[in-house]
Amino acid sequence: MQSLLKSIPQNSWVELASRWILGLTFIYSSYSKILSPAGFAKIIYGYGLFPAKLINLIAIIVPSLELLVALALIFGIYPRSAVLIVNVLLAAFIILISINLIRGHEFNCGCFALQNSGNQVSSPSTIIRDFIYLALGIQVFLYKQPRRWCVRQSG
Amino acid sequence: MKTLKELSVLIGLSVIAAFVINFFSPKGIALVGQWDTSQGVVTAKEKNDVIMDELEIDDVTYAKALYDSGNVLFVDARSREDFAEGHIKGAFSLPVAEFDVQIDKFLELYELDKPIITYCSGRTCEDSHHLAQLLINRGYQNTSVMIDGFPGWEAEGYSIAKSAEEHTAK
Repeated sequence: MQSLLKSIPQNSWVELASRWILGLTFIYSSYSKILSPAGFAKIIYGYGLFPAKLINLIAIIVPSLELLVALALIFGIYPRSAVLIVNVLLAAFIILISINLIRGHEFNCGCFALQNSGNQVSSPSTIIRDFIYLALGIQVFLYKQPRRWCVRQSG
Repeated sequence: MKTLKELSVLIGLSVIAAFVINFFSPKGIALVGQWDTSQGVVTAKEKNDVIMDELEIDDVTYAKALYDSGNVLFVDARSREDFAEGHIKGAFSLPVAEFDVQIDKFLELYELDKPIITYCSGRTCEDSHHLAQLLINRGYQNTSVMIDGFPGWEAEGYSIAKSAEEHTAK
């Protein structure tokens, strides 16, 4: 039993599945942000945690970063480094949402664009979901064997 | 060291891609937005931004003076639910999301030279600007935006109403 628990994280198919789940999730999450950077910028503003000068830069860069590391994970280009970035992003999301949950900060601009994006800025279920993704990300990061279906493992 | 190189490649390419996409996308935004509510409505300054400074009324008391003149129509850009919970007394509910459905009725009711002031939920909301632009495109040239919205009006203690039925285009 113990050897089974140890062997699962080092199973190459499990690693591939984790990588693709993370990749597809991040493509999905980057999609609407790339289509509407202004809406994403407003969500960042709504967190109330970022200096005004940085809000637009974050809104411009983060979606592309998400998309590129997602593609890198799926095609297996520098997968270990790509998943490191994914893990840092997930950790950052978890910290940001936690801060707002703890201080009871809920941003509601009362406007249509944000309602329609269906974005729940701060909710416990989002944190749980992000922790699950983070667990997958850590598994991909700690995986030691040669990875399946990779264009470029490292280099 | 190898990881550092890989990270630089991934992050470097992302940043380049980010600025290229933002430059060519019709939805691209400025490098620095306007996020100070004391300066007006917050906006990321999208390329086809609906925020038009020249339409803005940033003084609620001025809006109230126009209201008291009796000639100006206040138009509420928020959702019907928000309207039902409270709105400027006598305002017309024209949720910006329902504009295409409601505009024909609106055109029947009001002449194109009718002075109009749109409003929504204040300076973090751009729906009133969006609505003003749509109205102007339909020929309502005498349109302004009260940027402090319903919260600003309510805070001054001016007259409000709570029924959903009044002055809506049903």
